[in-house]
Amino acid sequence: MYFLTFLIKNLTRRKTRSLLTILGVAVAVGTMVTLRGISYGFESSFVESFQHRGTDIVVVAAGQADQLRSDLDEKICEQLQHIPGVKTAWPGLLEMIDITRGTSVSSALIHGWRPNTPLFDDLTLLDGRSLQKGDPHEVLLGTTLASTLNKKVGDTIEMQQEPFRVVGIFRSFNVYENGGVVIALDELQRLMDRKGRVTGFSVVLEPAEDRAGTVERVCKEIETLKDEQGRPYKIMAQESKQYVSGTLYIQLAHGMAWITSAIAAFIGAISMLNTMITSVLERIKEIGILRAMGWRKGRVVRMILGESMLLSIAGGVVGVLGAVLVTRWLATVPEVNGFVRGDVSPVIMMQGFVTALVVALVGGTYPAYRAAHWLPTEALRHE
Amino acid sequence: MSESEPLLAALRVCKVYPDGKVAALVDLSLEIARGDYVAIMGPSGSGKSTLLNLLGALDEPDRGEIRFEGKPLNAYGNLDEFRSRRIGFVFQSFHLLPTLTALENVQIPMFEGPLRAAQRAQKALELLQTVGLSHRLQHLPSRLSVGERQRVAIARALANDPPLLLADEPTGNLDTRTANDVLDLFAALHRDRGMTLVVVTHSDEVALRAERVVRIRDGRIIEDTRLCTPRTPTHEIPIIAHAQGRGPDLV
Repeated sequence: MYFLTFLIKNLTRRKTRSLLTILGVAVAVGTMVTLRGISYGFESSFVESFQHRGTDIVVVAAGQADQLRSDLDEKICEQLQHIPGVKTAWPGLLEMIDITRGTSVSSALIHGWRPNTPLFDDLTLLDGRSLQKGDPHEVLLGTTLASTLNKKVGDTIEMQQEPFRVVGIFRSFNVYENGGVVIALDELQRLMDRKGRVTGFSVVLEPAEDRAGTVERVCKEIETLKDEQGRPYKIMAQESKQYVSGTLYIQLAHGMAWITSAIAAFIGAISMLNTMITSVLERIKEIGILRAMGWRKGRVVRMILGESMLLSIAGGVVGVLGAVLVTRWLATVPEVNGFVRGDVSPVIMMQGFVTALVVALVGGTYPAYRAAHWLPTEALRHE
Repeated sequence: MSESEPLLAALRVCKVYPDGKVAALVDLSLEIARGDYVAIMGPSGSGKSTLLNLLGALDEPDRGEIRFEGKPLNAYGNLDEFRSRRIGFVFQSFHLLPTLTALENVQIPMFEGPLRAAQRAQKALELLQTVGLSHRLQHLPSRLSVGERQRVAIARALANDPPLLLADEPTGNLDTRTANDVLDLFAALHRDRGMTLVVVTHSDEVALRAERVVRIRDGRIIEDTRLCTPRTPTHEIPIIAHAQGRGPDLV
């Protein structure tokens, strides 16, 4: 018999308790992996949306962590293009918009882009055509949103109480764009009553040997740009990755994920502690027998910690698998499928297993210490 | 260790109960020769189990000293390791682990030894054959009779080949016939393996199977009777023949 076999047999003695503990750890690990997976997917998709298009620098209004509240003059784009080292720049207007869906309303991101800009190059048209300059009341739908709304080319959607005809359905590399609407910039400005205003600019730099130095220099130059009256624009230019990690929504997502994960892990550890203490108290006499037979304290510690590790590993496996399934399922739920990627990175899965092991250590150490330090004679007298 | 040196000795040991008021053992001295078979008798509360705990290195005396092969126990360093290699315990209530089969229960003390898993299983098999339980290897304790359980416990006590077997009321939960089987087994171990046996008991029948009877009252030895001459240890490989499902026949 292997020592591991002995531990497993100990755990199968109270099957229901062991299963409930595994479930507790699984919920803790699953919650952590799901939430952190979603928040990091959120961030990486965001970063991807810039990096995939070669965006080096993102320009938004200074002092606005909330990207949707950034408001800049569209004319800045021309000034950006004249800064040495800048290859091109394009404006974008991003809004959250309500789309009427029968008797209910769905929220979706709507991207206002200038037609015929490189942004459209990364959209693969599945049906219909792309937007053309001067198309009024026409939109492209991401494939996820089209599926959610059950719309096809030629159908109409209603936004801000105005009808818009779907002229194309596309698939993007980016989950947010798949769950959103793309519309001509001037049309979105009109719809949202933000004529001549944009959320920000994407800036692509010329290739440079010292890319970091170029980024830093161009960012400084952008932030000193002035309007026609010589007043500074109060704009902020950041490298795209740095910009994303500082965005309010990303910070909120990470913060919520961390806090909820920490609470879940704490509850998991308490559940483990309760299980192991109960298990040890039930076996005081048995532990006394083991000590009488010559088991060292260290082996008793290994037995108790080994049992808590086994429970945690089982909980970790169930939790991670559950998180993967839940995340995939969330990616199909209409209310959130525009924001959830549906995959969980291996790093987050490993973090889940590490959490499970921490839960095992936190929950198993004290009971193991107690069990190892009973005097054999006292343990043998226990009834 | 010289031949005349006792295997085990208690030298003027004192032990006070945890409440600090009642002395369990008072200046008690006892020598047990290698290969001896000693029964310790006395009424409840006389201190016999306390003495067994001290002799078995499960507890330490408040005063005095326990010596094994002439060396004080604390000279052996780790007492867990000492117990693992030198002492086998048999308890009144068997204390088998309920989720383990007979074969697995016997392997439990071997985890502290050098044997690999397959070697542990082989040795447990041989020990269970020795105690006549080769047909009950895969049975859980709940599916064994009380006599069979005690024989599994004895096989477990022999797992690390200890020279000393300490038994606390080993027949206390057994009927007369089963108790006799267990005592036959003890006799065989004593004779064929040269094991030193110390048995705590209330029972005159159990005590009469020993070579020496020590009576204790109020923590003191009141009588120490030699029933027969202790045998000379042989250190030979044990030979215990047995029939399947029966107690051992001695050859």
